[in-house]
Amino acid sequence: MVGAAEERRRTFEHEALPHLDAVFRMAVRLAGDQALAEDLAQETMLKAYRSWHQYRRGTNVRAWLLTILRHTFINAYRKARKAGPTVDVSEIEQFRVFHDLQDSDPEGSFFSQIVDDEVLRAIDALPDEFRETLVLSDVEQLSYAEIAQVTGVPIGTVKSRLFRARQALQQRLYDYAVEMGYIKRPSP
Amino acid sequence: MKSPRKIDCREAAERLYDFLDRELTPDLEAEIRAHLDECAKCFSLARFEDAYLSFLHARTRAHRAPEHLRRRVFERLFLDGGTSDSD
Repeated sequence: MVGAAEERRRTFEHEALPHLDAVFRMAVRLAGDQALAEDLAQETMLKAYRSWHQYRRGTNVRAWLLTILRHTFINAYRKARKAGPTVDVSEIEQFRVFHDLQDSDPEGSFFSQIVDDEVLRAIDALPDEFRETLVLSDVEQLSYAEIAQVTGVPIGTVKSRLFRARQALQQRLYDYAVEMGYIKRPSP
Repeated sequence: MKSPRKIDCREAAERLYDFLDRELTPDLEAEIRAHLDECAKCFSLARFEDAYLSFLHARTRAHRAPEHLRRRVFERLFLDGGTSDSD
């Protein structure tokens, strides 16, 4: 016969632990620092294990873990975050990059020249609520409803944050690609 | 089958990300799809944004938890009993 403690360990190990990568990825983006992110990820997994009985079977376990991560970050780690946001999301010109490139690079092939680190740096420069929304969607592929649940805001807010975060990030990556000479800005 | 309601470019652009994220109901999705079929410019925009989202995912997903963290978490969870606090 299998005891309750053993069953708890077995299910957590199989269902939750494989998401440590996602928890760590999100932790790095929230904390902005590798060592801090490791502590945050570890604390999240310990908390999740202690409250494993509260997890509702059949719901998205990754979303559940990321909710715990986010609470832990806000309560204990946010003050320690080093870099502040540097990307302005208030002035978004809708689909500006496409409008610039629709003739010279309509398939967006310049994106492939931008390396991982540069993308991550650009994500880190987004303001908190835009960064977390974009990471939950475009890195972790959560649905709008799941993101709303994790971040505690209505779906409409998720959608508008996601739109602005994606557009601000795209414009920054485009400006970077122009600066690096990967692509030419069309003359007006 | 009833044909989808006609929408304009502005409406298509507003719902483009919902469409690419597969967050629309079948009816709304059909409206966008019908618009993209007949509007070359919006089709081109959709393709561009789709390439961008795939690129974002590909560039960020490879990042994994380091091995020492994996080991540390495993030990704290299962060898310490998983009940003690982290500090």
